[in-house]
Amino acid sequence: MTRPEAGPAALASSGRTASGRLNPLTGLVLAGSGAVACLAWASWGTWAAVLAAALVVAAKARILRRVVAAASVVVVPFAVWALVIHGLFFPEGRTVLVVVGPARVTSEGLAYAGAIILRTASLVVVMLAFSLWVRVPTLRAALVRRGVPAQLGYVLASALGLAAAVGERLRRIREAQEARGLVVRKGPGGRILAARLQVVPLVLQLVDEAGERAAALEARGNALPGRRSSYVDEPDSQLQRVLRWTLACVCAVVVASVVVPAVAGVLAGAAR
Amino acid sequence: MLAAHVRRFAYDDGAAPLLHDIRLEIVPGSLTAVLGASGSGKSMLAKVLAGWAVAGGHGRLQGTLELARDGRREHLDFRGSPDDPRLRLGAWGQHVAYVPQRAADLLTGAAATVGEELAFGLEQRGTPRAEMLAQVDSAARVMGLGGLLEREPGQLSGGEQRRTAIACAIVGRPAVVLLDEPTASLDAEGAASLSRLVGALRAAGTAVVVFTATADALARGASRWLLLEGGTAAVDGTPAEAEASAAFAASGVLREEAAVAAWRPGPVRAPEGPAPLAELDRVTFAYDGARATRGGTVNSGRPVLDEASLAVFPGEVVALTGPNGAGKSTSLRHLAGLLRPDRGQVRIDGRDILDDPAGRVAGTVGTLFQEPKDQLFERTALREVAFGLSGRSPGSLRLSRDEARRRASEALEAVGLPGRADTHPYELPVSEQRLLALATVLARQPRVLLLDEPTVGLDRFGLARLEAAVRRAAESGAAVVLSTHALAWARRQAHRGLVLTRGRFEAA
Repeated sequence: MTRPEAGPAALASSGRTASGRLNPLTGLVLAGSGAVACLAWASWGTWAAVLAAALVVAAKARILRRVVAAASVVVVPFAVWALVIHGLFFPEGRTVLVVVGPARVTSEGLAYAGAIILRTASLVVVMLAFSLWVRVPTLRAALVRRGVPAQLGYVLASALGLAAAVGERLRRIREAQEARGLVVRKGPGGRILAARLQVVPLVLQLVDEAGERAAALEARGNALPGRRSSYVDEPDSQLQRVLRWTLACVCAVVVASVVVPAVAGVLAGAAR
Repeated sequence: MLAAHVRRFAYDDGAAPLLHDIRLEIVPGSLTAVLGASGSGKSMLAKVLAGWAVAGGHGRLQGTLELARDGRREHLDFRGSPDDPRLRLGAWGQHVAYVPQRAADLLTGAAATVGEELAFGLEQRGTPRAEMLAQVDSAARVMGLGGLLEREPGQLSGGEQRRTAIACAIVGRPAVVLLDEPTASLDAEGAASLSRLVGALRAAGTAVVVFTATADALARGASRWLLLEGGTAAVDGTPAEAEASAAFAASGVLREEAAVAAWRPGPVRAPEGPAPLAELDRVTFAYDGARATRGGTVNSGRPVLDEASLAVFPGEVVALTGPNGAGKSTSLRHLAGLLRPDRGQVRIDGRDILDDPAGRVAGTVGTLFQEPKDQLFERTALREVAFGLSGRSPGSLRLSRDEARRRASEALEAVGLPGRADTHPYELPVSEQRLLALATVLARQPRVLLLDEPTVGLDRFGLARLEAAVRRAAESGAAVVLSTHALAWARRQAHRGLVLTRGRFEAA
């Protein structure tokens, strides 16, 4: 063998150790706490703090550009919609800034639109930052270690990778058709137009592959009973465990403090 | 260790048996070769022994499978009835590991790295992590995958995927390893690793069975040959006995070719003669690390092609060689217009094709892909070959329907599949899928013919069809570029060879 070999020691510091030193469940609880805070407290300060924290974490994990790009796809159209609806037409608005025909731009309308945009942006960025940061194999290992069935872990991992796998297969079928004279126009429009010719072969290939893969997975022990172990390292510490439980309890209390009075109010209203 | 008696095996009750009257006894530390032409039943027998064809009630087996391991003996007697014993594939697979002909079928498709893929089976069995890391490293090292453990499996080249699949099979230290066409698309280093691996496995008491259409060096190391013909044992004996038999001489099993010293003499070209038909002119290309691609290798940002130049003239056959992942497929995809160079020019018939869609390039260039299944997408073999020959779409050859049908039938005839016109491409054996894919290329009568690993899995008859097609194309003035690891074969077929090393072509 002439290739350089990587021994266990070399690998211990690379991909096997997953996303840094943070446990994926700690990441999940942090993201969940951010979301709960955004939903429970209607305060600009809370939303801005959660958004800022998520962006800082994304920057540290070197995924800031991807998070911002993905979040923009959701937040920008939503922001445009909110500004049009609430910025121009806000019946409760008293402080009129500009009047254009039937539209009245009020400071209360702008403030309301700004609030829901900021709140939505915080929620979207927090969830996207988590999903782009987390390494699926590590999350799967963490879940399986805590009693989630291994098959469910496999389904989770393959579902998260499904879009990429289908995209790759579509590309191969399209290339085979191009090699036999299918002219695909440049840009996504041309690809979507060409995709109609690839749908049937795609489905047939996926079905065929699923049959073979089912046997391969079973032969490799996917359906065996018993405990699983994990190849990828799951970084964890006492501090993280304490943080996870504390945050989870606080979140539960916060949710209860919001939900219980709300439900009580609804029930009391119904009784009257 | 493993004993099998297949009295009869079929997928449907009423159908003709796919296998019948085969006996096989495999002892610890042995190497057995199951030889046979395309469609002889090799892969089917491998799937029966591996349990894949028996578990889940898909096939009907009449016969016995017996596995002795750790002092315990598991005897399964099948009568082809619903009351038959159940083969638990998870437990069986722990002792009898199988690498299918399409190696990628063994992979989970859900692992993010090669290391995780190798570890999958160990994870399912709850192997402690420290032990698992050691076993993964050992399997990776023996298959030359040490440097690829962090790579995404979908980004591996065909040969690298096969090495990965073999490593997945041996990582759990099974008692029996079944390898279907294991040397297909492996480079010299991969084949040498495989030979060493088989030696090491046998020394440790593991039994190895190879299923192959080629009596190659690996098969010659076997103590026993079983020659299959029409789904049953035609000859069963030592390699010398089997090779001397009339059945072997008449079979489609390939004999490994003797080394050939010189390339085939090329067409005489006057200095001012014709311009090249296919040209790479100082092409540089690197894969985007984020994109999953097969047939090309991502190498930490290093270009796969680095100012690579290549010119192929009319009537010329040029063979590209080089290790797995060197960039052979990548070069061919550039000539087909499927990849665009980062720098440099790709010229077909003197024209820069940078702005031409691949569908238009296909008017001149025909491509046989490395994995034939990627190329087959129609309902019948005839429809498959006729795709793009008629019709009014921009890249169609615009033949009349009758003419398209005639061309498609002729192409099927040329590759020896006239009787398969109405068969679904996926129902063909892998080697016939490759020939069908070749027919789809030949039907377009391209002036530039690109063949990516065309010999893989072909038996003697299939190879003769391929050779005839290559010669006919060259004689009619086409430029043929083929990538292959079969060096002796390449020397007999090609006029010159080029080795791809560090992103550039050098004369072989």
